[in-house]
Amino acid sequence: MACMNEEGQWIVLMGLLVAVALFFLALIINQSALVGQTTAEGVLEFPKNDIRDLRSAIFDYVDTELPDGVKEDIIAISLERKNAVVNFTVNQKMDVSGRWLHPVTIHYNNGVTVYNETVYY
Amino acid sequence: MVNDAGQLYTMEGVAAGIIMLLTAYIVVSTTSVYTTGDTHIPDMQLEQLGSDVLAMMDTPDTNGMKSALEIFVNTGNSTDFNNTFLSCCNATTSGKPDNLHMSANVTYRDANTNVITEHLFVAPDNTWTGRESAVRVTRWVQLPSGSPNYGSRAQVVLVEVLLWRA
Repeated sequence: MACMNEEGQWIVLMGLLVAVALFFLALIINQSALVGQTTAEGVLEFPKNDIRDLRSAIFDYVDTELPDGVKEDIIAISLERKNAVVNFTVNQKMDVSGRWLHPVTIHYNNGVTVYNETVYY
Repeated sequence: MVNDAGQLYTMEGVAAGIIMLLTAYIVVSTTSVYTTGDTHIPDMQLEQLGSDVLAMMDTPDTNGMKSALEIFVNTGNSTDFNNTFLSCCNATTSGKPDNLHMSANVTYRDANTNVITEHLFVAPDNTWTGRESAVRVTRWVQLPSGSPNYGSRAQVVLVEVLLWRA
């Protein structure tokens, strides 16, 4: 180390700090794909549209005065094509704060997501 | 003898060590290359798009009217269903339209025999997907007065659309 020029040490040190910071940024970019994957898989796996569509189908069924066979259609086709165990019951109208509404209980289970609801429609 | 000369050299050594460790970590952890197709992000977007288009087609223009989707399914109008669906899917805010393709079938149940049947509604065209997967979106359609294709009783059928980007 004799006769070595020791000027500019701070510049060298700051250069190293910048290099370390760049590595951390690279690490964050490296992780971003993984984060996007878990988010996308979570959205794909959660049957948001299925449940909303099932609810609207059941409400349409109530609107059309409970025709024969439609309940069996929904339950059978859900199991066959959507891999979802679905059951629902529509009870007699009752007085809910002055309005006469059907209590509708909905059960949905596709093995990943379980959804149960009692709604007055 | 211990003295305090060369402190900055020590720090430099420590910093270089950290950089080498980080480099080794990044090199080891990047043996598998992640593409966008692996992350399922386009699949998620495609599925949401398809669900939204079906929901839009299932919304009547005014209260009490039949929705376009219900009319197409009831009358078996696969050409208009195909055109409406794809024109909604492929619309972009600027630039050239997207390149999405679809096939569809309708699943219905025979009440007497309790047999569930799939009816090919829109046949697939001869396009291939790229690296992205095809996604399936579905929508229940009520047919309160039956349909010539699926039986005369009031029933509900499931419209399934297979959607892919060519």
